[in-house]
Amino acid sequence: MGAKRKKTEEVGGDDEVGGGKKQILPSMIKNKEKRSAVHAKLKHQKKIEKRKKAKAREAAEKRALELGEEPPAKKIPHTIENTREFDETVCKPDDEELFAGNDADEFSSILNRKSDPKILITTCRFNSTRGPAFISELLSVIPNAHYYKRGTYDLKKIVEYAKKKDFTSLIVVHTNRREPDALLIIGLPDGPTAHFKLSKLVLRKDVKNHGNPTSHIPELVLNNFTTRLGHRIGRMIQSLFPQAPNFGGRRVVTFHNQRDFIFFRHHRYIFESKESKQGDSKGNKDKDAKGEKSSRGKVVARLQECGPRFTLKLISLQHGTFDTKGGEYEWVHKPEMDTSRRRFFL
Amino acid sequence: MPRTSTLECPGCPPIRALTFDVLGLVKVTEARSKEGGIPKVVDRWGEPDSSKCILAASIDDRKSGPLLAIARKGGMIEILNPLNGHPCLSISNIIDNGPQPGDDAIVGLHLFKKQNLDLSSRSRTLLTCTTKGNASMRSVELTSSHADSTSSVSSRTWNVCASGNILCSQVDGNENYALFGGKGVEVNVWDLEQGTKIWTAKSPPKNSLGLFTPTWFTSATFLSKDDHRKFVAGTNSHQVISHGKFFFYAQMSSKENNILLVPEMQDFWNILRSSFLPLDPNSANVVRKQGSDVLHSTLLQRIADVRLYDISAQRRPVISFDFRETPIKAVAEDQDGYTIYIGNGSGDLASVDMRTGKLLGCFLGKCSGSIRSIARHPELPVIASCGLDSYLRFWDIKTRKVLSAVFLKQPLTNVVFDSNFAEEEVPSSVVDPPTEAQNTNETQESDEEEVQPLKRKKKSSKHSGSKKPKPKKRSKKAQDETVDDSS
Repeated sequence: MGAKRKKTEEVGGDDEVGGGKKQILPSMIKNKEKRSAVHAKLKHQKKIEKRKKAKAREAAEKRALELGEEPPAKKIPHTIENTREFDETVCKPDDEELFAGNDADEFSSILNRKSDPKILITTCRFNSTRGPAFISELLSVIPNAHYYKRGTYDLKKIVEYAKKKDFTSLIVVHTNRREPDALLIIGLPDGPTAHFKLSKLVLRKDVKNHGNPTSHIPELVLNNFTTRLGHRIGRMIQSLFPQAPNFGGRRVVTFHNQRDFIFFRHHRYIFESKESKQGDSKGNKDKDAKGEKSSRGKVVARLQECGPRFTLKLISLQHGTFDTKGGEYEWVHKPEMDTSRRRFFL
Repeated sequence: MPRTSTLECPGCPPIRALTFDVLGLVKVTEARSKEGGIPKVVDRWGEPDSSKCILAASIDDRKSGPLLAIARKGGMIEILNPLNGHPCLSISNIIDNGPQPGDDAIVGLHLFKKQNLDLSSRSRTLLTCTTKGNASMRSVELTSSHADSTSSVSSRTWNVCASGNILCSQVDGNENYALFGGKGVEVNVWDLEQGTKIWTAKSPPKNSLGLFTPTWFTSATFLSKDDHRKFVAGTNSHQVISHGKFFFYAQMSSKENNILLVPEMQDFWNILRSSFLPLDPNSANVVRKQGSDVLHSTLLQRIADVRLYDISAQRRPVISFDFRETPIKAVAEDQDGYTIYIGNGSGDLASVDMRTGKLLGCFLGKCSGSIRSIARHPELPVIASCGLDSYLRFWDIKTRKVLSAVFLKQPLTNVVFDSNFAEEEVPSSVVDPPTEAQNTNETQESDEEEVQPLKRKKKSSKHSGSKKPKPKKRSKKAQDETVDDSS
C-alpha cells in the first residue's frame, strides 16, 4: 500500500511538472481513482491550451485585418486524402499514351457518340425480395435499360445473347441474404468485367423528401477517378449513360470516388436567385428541397435527392467478358497490397 | 504517423529489358549502377497505335548483330535492332488465300540463333505460329541497307493442328524441335528439320465422377536448354471435384429454403458463390448423414495445373502440380534445368521444382494484374515479369522479393532481357552493349573482356546454363567484327 501510494504520488508530481511528454501515461497508474484524476487533469490542461491557441490565432487575424496586412496563413489539417501515398499511376493531363489508350479501348465507340448505350440488367439465379425493387430503380436511373429475368441461363450464354441483340453493357445484380450486395458490369462485345461490392443501399422510398426522376438524359458527374485504373472504371461508368445530357432536364447522377469507395447519388436541381430573406423561385418546384447547396452569390442551386443511394467498391476488373475459367485479371485486390492506410487504387 | 509497411526496394544490378505492349510500343528499361540502381525507361520506340498491338517477341541477343523480332496484330512481323530500335526488316505474314489476320493472329514467334555461315548475306530464320495452327518457317535475308525490305528467301508452311486454337509455342534450346499446344489441342512436338510430328500428349484420365478435363494449354516451355524431351505446360483452370467433410449444424428453414450456416461452412459457400457455380444448396449434391452432423459434400473447385511431360517416358504427364484458380499464363524455365517460374491470371508468380513437383515459394510483390510474360536473365539471378497491370517488375530469385517495379503505362504483353548490357567504368556516359552498331569511342571488346571476368568473380559461374555458348561466340566475334563493321 505504501509503495503504491509513493509511486502514484511520484507519478502525479512528474506529470504536473513535465508536459506529459515523458513516458508517464495515465494508463500506467494502477489505482483507478488516482488514474482518473490524473487523466481529467490532463484533459483540462489540454483544453485550456487549445483555447489559448485559438484565441491567440483569432487575435492575430483580427490585428492583421485591422492593420491591413495579410492575416497569417490558416493551417490545413492533415486528412487521409491530403496525405495519400504518392501513386505513380495517376493520370497526367499531358500523357499522349493515355489518349491513345483511350482511343483504343473498348468504350471509345460509345464515348465518341458513334453508338448508343443499351443496357441489359439481370439478377443472379436466386431472386429475393429486395432485388427487384432495386432493379426497378436502376431502370429509372439509367436510360435505355432493359430488364430480363434470369432463369437458369449460364452467364456466358447471356453474354452471347446480349451481343447478338446489340447490347453495349450487361449489369448483373447479385443478392446475398435477400439483399443486393454485388454488381457485375460487363462491357460488350469484349469489354472488361468489373465486379463491385454494393453496400449501404437506400431505396427511393426510404429517402426522406425524395423526388421523382424524369426521363431526361441525366448529366453525369464523376469525381476523383485519378489513377489509370480509376480512369478506366470512370470511362466504363460513363459508357453506361448516353453522351448527350439534357441540361434542361435538370437531372444529375453523381459517382463520387473517395478512398476507393464510389458513392452513387441521383439528384434533381433547380436554380434559384436568393436576393433577400424570402426566396424567389425560378421555374417549377415540386416539393421542399432536402439539401441546400448555396453559393455565396445570388443564384443558388437547390438539390432534391431522388432515386437510390448506394456505395460501390471495386473488387476486381477482368480483362474480357465474364469468365471464371479463362479469366485474366487486370486488377484484383490482394491483401498484400494494403501496405498502408493511405494507399488507394482508384 | 501513418502506419505503413513499405518494402525497401533494393535496387537492381545493371540490366536492360525490353517490353512490348498492346499499343505497339517497345519500351527499353535500364538499370544503371552496379548495385542499387533504379530502373528507368530510357527509350520508347513506335507510335501508340492499337492496331499494331504486339503479340509475340523473340530476341537473339548475341554479341554481334543482335536482333529482335516482333509480331504485330495485323500479321506484320518486324525485325528490329534492339539497341536503337531501327527496323531492319518488316514482313507480312498474310497468306493470300488463307484466313484473315484478324481471325488468325500470330501466337508464337521465334528467331533462330543459328546462322548459315556460308551464305555471304546474312539470312535469319523465323518460326511463326498462328492461332489456327498455321506454322511457317521462313528465312529472310537481311540486306546491309536497313531498308524495309520484304524479301524472303524461302518459307515452309504446315498446319500444326486440325481443329482448335494454338495458344502457346516454343522452340527448344538446340532449335531442332518445337512444341505447340492450345485450346483443344494437345501438346505436340515437331521435328523442325524434317517437319514431322514426333510426339503428342495424351490427356489425363477421367476422374472418379467421369468428368473430363478439357484440353486447354495456355503456356509451355522446354525444361532445359539441352534436353528437348522434357517440357512443362500450364493449363487453363478447370473444375475439379474434391470431397470433404464439413462439420456444421444445418437447419432448413421452410420459408426461404436456405441453409443457415455456422461460420465454418461459410468459406465453403463463399467459394461456391464467388465462382458463380450452379450448385444449389437444396440439391442432391449436399447429402446429410443421419444421426451425426457431418456433411459429406462435394466441392467443385477451379484449379489450374502445371504438367511436366517427358517424351521419352510416356504420353501422359509425368508430374502434375496444381496452382490456384486462374489460368497459368506464363511459364519460364531456369538455367539449372529443373526450376520453373509460373505466372497466372491473377498476378501470382511462383517458382516450382519440377523434379518433385513441389512449390518452392511465391513471389509477393503487390502484383494485381495477370502476368503475361516472364523472362529470366541469362546470367544474373533476376527475373522480370510484366502483365496487364502495366507494371514491369524485377525480382530476385533467391529471396523472392521485388527488386523494383516500373510503371509503364500500357498493359504489357511481353518482356525480354538484353543480356549484353554491361557496366562501364565511367558511370556518367551512356552505357551501351558492346556491339558494332553503335559508334562508341571505347574498344568494346576489351570492355567486355574486363567486365565479364569481373562479373564472373562476383557471382557464381553459371556457364552450364548460359544460353549462348560464350567462348565460341567470342572467337566468332573477332572474326565477324571485321565483316560486320561495314553495316
